[in-house]
Amino acid sequence: MWMAHSRSPYGARRLALACFALLLVALFLLPAQIQGLLQYLDGPVGHVVRVPLEAIASIDAGIADRWEQHVALQGVREENQQLRKEIEWLRGQHSQLRESAAATERLTALLHFKEQALPTMIAAQVIGRDATNRYRAIILNKGESDGIKPDMGVVTPAGVVGRVVKTTGVTSVVLLMTDPTNAIAGLIQRTRDEGIVEGTQQGLAQLKYIPLLSTLRDGDRVVTSGLVGGFPRGLVIGTITSIDKQEGALFQSAELMPEVDVGRVEEVLVIQTSYGRSTKAGAGADLIGKPSP
Amino acid sequence: MKYLFYLILVLLLVPLQTTLLPHLSVWNIKPDLGLVAAALVGLFAGELEGLLVGLAIGWVLSLFSAGELWLSLMTNGGVGLLAGFLGRQVSQVTSISLGVGLLLVSFASGLFAAMNFKQLDVSQMWWMVESIVLPQACFDGAVGAGLYWLLSQRFHVTRLRTE
Repeated sequence: MWMAHSRSPYGARRLALACFALLLVALFLLPAQIQGLLQYLDGPVGHVVRVPLEAIASIDAGIADRWEQHVALQGVREENQQLRKEIEWLRGQHSQLRESAAATERLTALLHFKEQALPTMIAAQVIGRDATNRYRAIILNKGESDGIKPDMGVVTPAGVVGRVVKTTGVTSVVLLMTDPTNAIAGLIQRTRDEGIVEGTQQGLAQLKYIPLLSTLRDGDRVVTSGLVGGFPRGLVIGTITSIDKQEGALFQSAELMPEVDVGRVEEVLVIQTSYGRSTKAGAGADLIGKPSP
Repeated sequence: MKYLFYLILVLLLVPLQTTLLPHLSVWNIKPDLGLVAAALVGLFAGELEGLLVGLAIGWVLSLFSAGELWLSLMTNGGVGLLAGFLGRQVSQVTSISLGVGLLLVSFASGLFAAMNFKQLDVSQMWWMVESIVLPQACFDGAVGAGLYWLLSQRFHVTRLRTE
């Protein structure tokens, strides 16, 4: 009956109201300060919460593994997994080669001066999904202490997964590319037209702001443009499945089928090297081929 | 003892919400256990504890979500506070009345969150309400009612509230 003893109607009510009012005022008047204050506590709290989170995630993964092994034929399953990995790897290679070929045709002379700067990547495991239903995000078991910072790009060998939006000392939250609030600079591999890739509410993606004169078509691949954000040029984002070109519109848009099934991803690579306007052209063209250990 | 219970509750909510509940989601919608827990604490322990536990839950869950901190604090803290107030006004809480109350509160907080999304037009907002906010509110109401029913089978909850 311990819960009943804490009731002291008027004092508690006034105090609760005062606390809530104070919090409201503080959140609206001093949002940055409140955020900064709580950030000091994020680290220790993240460390504490990580213990049950990782324990339950590993139990969950263990059960899922056992279950799959018993339900599916073990040999076939392993072979299938191996083949899937191989396909993912080959898709990455294929995309990279196409990108390299296109770049070679356009910039043969310039390529002689290309820097072979390879990005540093951190491997991380997915230990959970967003705590709410409103965002499509995953939680990684690596955080600030491992060198992960907000805005870093997250990939698998098959292609783009999303970008880091929040970190604690030991965990980080990755907003998936299929989330409607996410935006990644994209490029149609064949036509070289640029646009912005955003998630859709249905869990797919769309390429927006494509020039009207672009000759894109179904089946065209979209890769990262490398101009903005934490991705180098040439990482596969998805394949165009339908085109929306409206009369009188300034741009056209296209629906994309993401290359990575972000709902099932279990391990990812976080790109530490920052990319953007300052990055030299083609610097990350070999990204998929050579992830750092 | 009470504070240890609250601490364990807050710590266990994170793995429950982020790791286990996705397996139990229906049409990709999972209940918001943080909201349910804050409401139950507010109902049983009063508005102050409801508010404080709700704030703690909101803060810790926001560390593991792409959502904004203030929204998480406001919704969970606000629900704990509101449940505390309502708990004093309503003499006989049943699992159905609690479920309906949670449904309404969850719907209101979901709507508030949806309105804070910057790039949504009317059709997108409607889609979000129809396919995320409303199903989640129903889910939250059902889970809250179920938990309350379980508690009422185990404890004398009316006496627990009024003592």
